[in-house]
Amino acid sequence: MFQVLTVILLPLSAGFFSFHSTAQELNFFPVLSTFIAAPMIAVLLVLMAPDKYARWITLLISSFVLGLGLKLFFSYQTAVGGFQFVEDVPWVNNLGINYNLGINYSLGVDGMGTLMVLSVAIAYFAGALVSWNVSLRKKEYFILFSLLAVGIFGAYESLNLFFFFLFYEFSILPMYLLVGIWGTGERKEYAAMKMTIYLLAGSVFMFVGFLAVYFASNVHTFDIRTLSDLSATGLSLGFQNVWFLFVGFGVLSALFPIHTWSPDGYGSAPTAASMLHAGVLKNLGGYSLLRIALPLMPDGAKHWLPYLAILALFNMLYMAIVALKQTNFKHVIAYSSISHCGAILFGICTLEVTGLNGAVIQLFSHGIIAAITFALVGLVCEKAHTSELSKLGGFAACMPVLAGLFMAVAMANVGLPGLSGFVGEFLVFLGSYQSGFHGGFTIYQILFPIGILSIVLTAVYYLRLLQMVFFEKIKNPQFKEEVKDGSFIEILPIAVLLIVSLIIGLYPKPFVDMSNLTITPLIGHIGGFK
Amino acid sequence: MIQVQAFLPELWLVVTAFLILVAELFQKPDSTRIFIKGIAVVGVLGSLLSLCCVGGCGTCPFSTCGSVESLPEAFNGFLKTDGLALFFKFIILSATLLTLLISFRYFKANPTNYTSEFIAILLFSAAGASALTSARELITLYVSLETLTISSYLLASFMKKDKTSNEAGMKYLLLGAFSSALLLFGFSYLYGFTGTTVISEIGKDLATQVSSPLLTLAVIMIVAGLAFKISLAPFHMWTPDVYEGAPTPITAYLSVASKTAGFAAFVRLFWVGLSVPALQPTWVGLFGVLAALSMILGNLEALPQKNIKRLMAYSSIAQAGYITTGFLAGGPLGLSAVLFYLFIYLFSNMGVFLAITIVYSKTGSDQIEDFAGIWKRSPLIGVVLLVCLLSLAGIPPLAGFAGKWYLFSAAISKGYVWIALVGLIFSTVSLYYYLQIDPPKPQLERKTRLPAIEKHFGRLMAEESCNSERKTSIQWHKKERLRRKEG
Repeated sequence: MFQVLTVILLPLSAGFFSFHSTAQELNFFPVLSTFIAAPMIAVLLVLMAPDKYARWITLLISSFVLGLGLKLFFSYQTAVGGFQFVEDVPWVNNLGINYNLGINYSLGVDGMGTLMVLSVAIAYFAGALVSWNVSLRKKEYFILFSLLAVGIFGAYESLNLFFFFLFYEFSILPMYLLVGIWGTGERKEYAAMKMTIYLLAGSVFMFVGFLAVYFASNVHTFDIRTLSDLSATGLSLGFQNVWFLFVGFGVLSALFPIHTWSPDGYGSAPTAASMLHAGVLKNLGGYSLLRIALPLMPDGAKHWLPYLAILALFNMLYMAIVALKQTNFKHVIAYSSISHCGAILFGICTLEVTGLNGAVIQLFSHGIIAAITFALVGLVCEKAHTSELSKLGGFAACMPVLAGLFMAVAMANVGLPGLSGFVGEFLVFLGSYQSGFHGGFTIYQILFPIGILSIVLTAVYYLRLLQMVFFEKIKNPQFKEEVKDGSFIEILPIAVLLIVSLIIGLYPKPFVDMSNLTITPLIGHIGGFK
Repeated sequence: MIQVQAFLPELWLVVTAFLILVAELFQKPDSTRIFIKGIAVVGVLGSLLSLCCVGGCGTCPFSTCGSVESLPEAFNGFLKTDGLALFFKFIILSATLLTLLISFRYFKANPTNYTSEFIAILLFSAAGASALTSARELITLYVSLETLTISSYLLASFMKKDKTSNEAGMKYLLLGAFSSALLLFGFSYLYGFTGTTVISEIGKDLATQVSSPLLTLAVIMIVAGLAFKISLAPFHMWTPDVYEGAPTPITAYLSVASKTAGFAAFVRLFWVGLSVPALQPTWVGLFGVLAALSMILGNLEALPQKNIKRLMAYSSIAQAGYITTGFLAGGPLGLSAVLFYLFIYLFSNMGVFLAITIVYSKTGSDQIEDFAGIWKRSPLIGVVLLVCLLSLAGIPPLAGFAGKWYLFSAAISKGYVWIALVGLIFSTVSLYYYLQIDPPKPQLERKTRLPAIEKHFGRLMAEESCNSERKTSIQWHKKERLRRKEG
């Protein structure tokens, strides 16, 4: 225990104190590249080190990254706003004279980006802890896990469509191998393949959308900042092109009816992989709607968003109903995660400062909550050697601590005030109510009560889970002797994540302020429904 | 005036080939023919180096010949080597070199007495392909194309005691001859319309003419004839059979060098000769349909394949479709995307075929099932295979990703969004079958204790030592196949 704490705390503080200066003087230290480079270094070190050190190296690097993420959060200058820590390196510039490809390696974060990078760092750290007891092919496991983190960090930080796409595709393949080799369940290979094919098919639409935008702009660049400045000056980057992006990002954020990869994938994925994937990679869908689709094509987006809102609402409600009927513990959680993603998309569709802020907070909080939920459920299923609800039951007797934690997690999912889920969902629904008044889209006023219904359903299926898994009579007498409560190292990541959720729930101001730095200019740029 | 530089690479190849044929006379029947192999490698390397002189890059200390302004030409300008031809030649010659190296390995597993003849024919074929890239005239183009293909017929049927190899050669010969006839038919119409066989003159002459049904027919014939050579659907029927039956190095050679030569002919003929307003919409539309069909059929038919060489055949059909997408977009962006992709394709495909050859030499089988657990049995080959296959599938950060990005962005820049969409969606499908070859199946590994293929890199060099091991491995795989058939 002492060793583990040392390995966590030392690099964490090293990461936190790795740079002191303010953002403006930061040009000499590429903070954002470090986020990408650090997991890559973990990959290389694990590759060279013996098997038994794999988890130590990954934990060390991931806590360094967490420290870096915290420092990023605190040293982002809220008074200045906009993109900070920007790195701009020309990558492939010219192909002949007339073909400026406009591919720059440019990274940067604004308020929303900072929040998301922090959430990835937290999930990466928690995932490394959760994978502590992986026994099969440790080396390969930790290599792929860190590679997944490389892709996700890169996608969140990119300010260039090419690199956004590159990092996103980069993160797909490690997930395939993680699910295919370390997954659980009978159908893990099927699930892995389905997930990969779906995500790649989604990326096809993204790709076509990006290129359509690229050729529609007269300057031919993939730079997101330049393109969104262009669209602010009134140049239309294509009215229908936004559809490609909607489909692409929709697959990623498991929008109905292209969500079916998600329950299968998360049902079979190893715990840490589903934490990173469900927690943060899936959020990339909503994030890139805000970062790419809305600022680049405001006219198209404004026209189509109400239709997307209906799908998003369907996501929330229908997935909650589907979750009610599941017989597999992990599938319930997967559907619950999709349902929460629906709330994010619905918040984006309101095109209202409150609603969009709610969406961003929900992105962050979903990242945390989905990660805890998957961590906890993975732990319980691993201890019970099954994820069938019919075989589980009465675990409160043999694992009281985990049962208590699950109760807290369930409440966070339901959106109990004081936990992070509440803040996001409250703002989303407030936003949709306001949007009904401001934009004349009274449809939102009709829609949002239906959305609230999904919260009730969430409570229903989480309480059902709580009852079936923890509070019924113990179904398998063997469990009483065999199943033990969580150990320190197993509970640590769950506790860390829960504390983060609690902090946001109790004092959301810094987080909302941070996301507002992105959202208010964005709404100013798009103009809302008017 | 004849400038030797214009056909220096071909000269190297042909001279080397004849040297090998002569040297063969002095070899003992059961010798390992190290000397001949040495000559062959030196010859191809020399030919690659001679590209430097052809280019006239101006920096070469050994030659003062040629500059970018005055391209070397020979035979009344019928052969003229420009940058485009150089790049194509580089791909073709590299492919030849790699094929040679793979074939040494292949003939260790399948000994034959005709190694020298094999090498000589391969070099003749490469000379044809290489000459094709700088041909500026229809007859020259046709003759070099036939040098390439007739040698390929021989090479495909080279394992004369093997039934499938014979079948492959016969099929290739019949269909190839048919397609050549179509091509000549089209050429003769072109000549009839313009009165010249020089491609640039044809372009000038046609620019003044209006479209006519016969001219369209000529274009269709030419497209069909050449589409056979690069196996674009629906002219791809021969590909799986030939690729399966031909010796593996030749499959690799056909899939890279022969295809590259075909694209060189396409670029010359269509973007120089036939890129006139009267004809361009016709053939661009035609190529659009062919590309889409190849990407759809190639990827879908690859799914149920059990034999890895057949699978690679369908994969290469799909790849031809992707490349055609960039080709029909044209312009600097499209054509450089084609060249770039061919360059990547060379290495990815050759890597896969090298892995196939090595696995075959140890297991005596090309069935995909026998690749199971290759991760464990030979980590090095497993990784090489995985990287090459993922590059073919276009997964970043491998080169195939950048290649596909350029190809499809070229198509979208010219407004062919639908072709790009078809290509991209079906390239998603391709990931499924590529990953089937190298799947992560730890259960399978634990169930059956598969014999190792080659555990250590050192063994790759000294594989003579494990001949007995190889025999047991082949026997094991035979038994396993029988068991599967019964069960």
